[in-house]
Amino acid sequence: MGDASVKIFTAKRIITMNPALPFAEAIAVRGDRILGVGTVEDLAQWGDYELSEQFKDHILMPGFVEAHTHVLAGAVWEFPYVGFYDRADPAGRTWLGCQTIASVVDRLAECERDLSDPDQTLVAWGLDPIFLTGERLVAKHLDQISTTRPIFVFHASGHLATVNSEMMRRSGIDRHTPTPGVAKDVDGEPNGELQEPAAMSLAQDGFAAIGVAMMSPNAKWNYAREARNCGVTTIADLGTTRLTMEGQLEAWRQATDDPNYPARVVVAVGHSDSGSESKDSNPMVSLAVRLRDEEETAKLRFGIVKLVLDGSIQGFTARISWPHYVKPPPGHPGNGLWLIPPEQLADIVSSYHEAGLTVHCHCNGDEAAQVFIDAVETALQRHPRWDHRHTVQHCQLTTTAQYKQMAALGMNANIFSNHIFHWGDQHASTTVGEERAAGMDACATAEREGVKFSVHSDAPITPMGHLHTAWCAVNRLTASGRVLGPEERISVAKALEACTLDAAHQLRLDHDIGSLEAGKLADFAVLEEDPFEVSPEELKDIPVWGTVVGGTSHVAGSK
Amino acid sequence: MEPSEGLMEVSVIGGYLGAGKTTLVNHILRQASERVAVMVNDFGEINIDQALIDSRSENTISLTNGCICCSLVDGFVSALESVMSFRPKPTRLVIEASGVADPGAVAAYGHGPGLALDAVVVVTDAVRLCEQVADPLIGQTVASQIDAADVIVLNKIDLADNLIAAKTELARLNPDALLAYASHAEVNLDLLFGREIVRKSDPTSQVGTFESRSHESTQPIPRAALEALVENLPPEIQRVKGIVRLAEAPHVAMVFQLVGRNWELRALADRKNSPDGNRLVVIGPKGSIPMQWDDALSSGN
Ligand SMILES: [Zn+2]
Ligand SMILES: [Zn+2]
Repeated sequence: MGDASVKIFTAKRIITMNPALPFAEAIAVRGDRILGVGTVEDLAQWGDYELSEQFKDHILMPGFVEAHTHVLAGAVWEFPYVGFYDRADPAGRTWLGCQTIASVVDRLAECERDLSDPDQTLVAWGLDPIFLTGERLVAKHLDQISTTRPIFVFHASGHLATVNSEMMRRSGIDRHTPTPGVAKDVDGEPNGELQEPAAMSLAQDGFAAIGVAMMSPNAKWNYAREARNCGVTTIADLGTTRLTMEGQLEAWRQATDDPNYPARVVVAVGHSDSGSESKDSNPMVSLAVRLRDEEETAKLRFGIVKLVLDGSIQGFTARISWPHYVKPPPGHPGNGLWLIPPEQLADIVSSYHEAGLTVHCHCNGDEAAQVFIDAVETALQRHPRWDHRHTVQHCQLTTTAQYKQMAALGMNANIFSNHIFHWGDQHASTTVGEERAAGMDACATAEREGVKFSVHSDAPITPMGHLHTAWCAVNRLTASGRVLGPEERISVAKALEACTLDAAHQLRLDHDIGSLEAGKLADFAVLEEDPFEVSPEELKDIPVWGTVVGGTSHVAGSK
Repeated sequence: MEPSEGLMEVSVIGGYLGAGKTTLVNHILRQASERVAVMVNDFGEINIDQALIDSRSENTISLTNGCICCSLVDGFVSALESVMSFRPKPTRLVIEASGVADPGAVAAYGHGPGLALDAVVVVTDAVRLCEQVADPLIGQTVASQIDAADVIVLNKIDLADNLIAAKTELARLNPDALLAYASHAEVNLDLLFGREIVRKSDPTSQVGTFESRSHESTQPIPRAALEALVENLPPEIQRVKGIVRLAEAPHVAMVFQLVGRNWELRALADRKNSPDGNRLVVIGPKGSIPMQWDDALSSGN
């Protein structure tokens, strides 16, 4: 769209998220930017134009901004899906859920026939044994598919894999294998289930496949296609890409430079992605600064650093304050894990803070959040700086007092609303208990205390889809259908703001994206129905036509 | 014939931030008589002696992603592969775990193809130990690390006012581990490494003097005889290692390991190169090993 011609789109309604002009009927685009919003007559003042009525029956909104996902979401689609629920792939094909062991075996047998090289490992993903009734899927089931080709099936949890006998034979896994996590039957023979990375890594050909796929160009494309299919025009890959690895920056450049690449990507530098070791200078600071100052393009953005401080709540590894977990598994030490020594955090945050970077820190538990908030306070005392926008990622158990402190310090939150639907029932019964589950992912508290916040899917941990994520924040319905913590529900308007303008704000991109107004980039979500017209319970069911990114339209479900 | 020939022995060095893990790794690099590769997993805390790094850099790999637990996306497995490809092949891999990592979880990788886990060594800070264990934020992390140890190095004893308190705390948290005292992490490598035992021990170490004796025989040993051997060992003896054939399953060569009061038997991973017969070595403070320490083995035959 390098030309200077003006195109005016009309729509059934345009929701701008600009409080000064919240709704409009037409929007003019020149090049990749918005020339103006208003009526066709208003916009005609800019001179000759081409009128497009392509979206006259659609709703246009600012393209959704998903500030916490991982490029892994695109990589998994290199492999067949064998999960329980129906799931659409980036090309728009719906994979029916496999609801019995027999259907898992049938799906894999079908995929096996498509592989021409008889030695190639068949890798699949998404298996969720909790939902499969009856016996557990083990090697002998997979042996029905092939006794000569290795087969490796990743579970949905990411912590387990099931392999066939040929995979075990080639990997030297047998009754004598001492590695913890190699599950064995009553006779002491391994049954094909490999638990946790150390055991999974024994089946190297299968285990390494997803990591290899993640580095591939196709994963980057499928990642953006998945975004496009749910109306997302900007995605943040939070710390997954190893930018220190040769060729990865170029691979992102090549993908995003393609005019058909359907998303903008913010690639956050992962702090643990340390390429060298020196006590006094943090080499990731200079890398992040150089990327931000020298490597940005219209569709590839930097400036964010990702830290991971604790584990997950459903895995009982998040650091949560007293009274800790309600029903932890036997042998649980009582609280979760630190991934960074807490007393080191202030120095780490300071190093990025002083360089003008924005730190996004994974804190699922409130104890972790407190350590991060205090680290930001220390960094600010050492080096006062306005408008840093340091963000608590996940922010699941953050308390009112912590939101107050965050507001005072100028911090942002990105709240993992999808947890309410996916694990809310388990949080109430097993992890943190009724009271704290009702108050977790507290969007209403963040709003009340004046903290700018977004909501996220953490795809592929939960499926990407901002209408679904907004629906979670608005309705707080769990998988079993109960409303968990009605006081923390927010309005549709606030949820849409969280998914657009305030997500852009924490990525430091709200000058460019997040609302539809003159001068900003022409990024739209194109919806079949109006989110303000449907009932709040139906928000997630609004069909998405596709997106417009920098004036170029991308149809959902296309190649 | 050396124990576990063809396999790379794996030592995991764990311990909380500031305990002296890196100092210990440097000490190992300086003192070891075998070919050692080092893998470092940390969050910018790493500070290997530059001189050593320079001379050994071809055998040092740093993990490019801090969290071994998230191996799906990090470089742990590929780092292991590059270590395996070093030529000449190192005989020992020392993994320095991150200051907050559970060294037991890291050690689970020590059974991979071509590897044999030797021991988990946890370095503790004699000055700060009690305070750290009582700390509401990090207490559980430190206690779990100590719990995972086969060998505990109580470091910085030269700086500690109250060594008894630290020792009592360790005994409470992990009474089964071998306890070695050190300042500047200078610990006799014989205590850390099984393989070193079959070589000449280094008399320059500051941590007392040790002696070793060996047992060699050809007839498979009944499991009960091994159990009797362990039972009859004097309490000062905390290290026995070697390869045996059990009477119950004589076709499989088994690695026998005793560290502290824990012992284990596991199949030798490299079965192609497995030696015939039994060879065990015991190590203990000078004068602590009875001449007849291995009587139980012979009488069982
Ligand atoms: Zn996270
Ligand atoms: Zn994440």
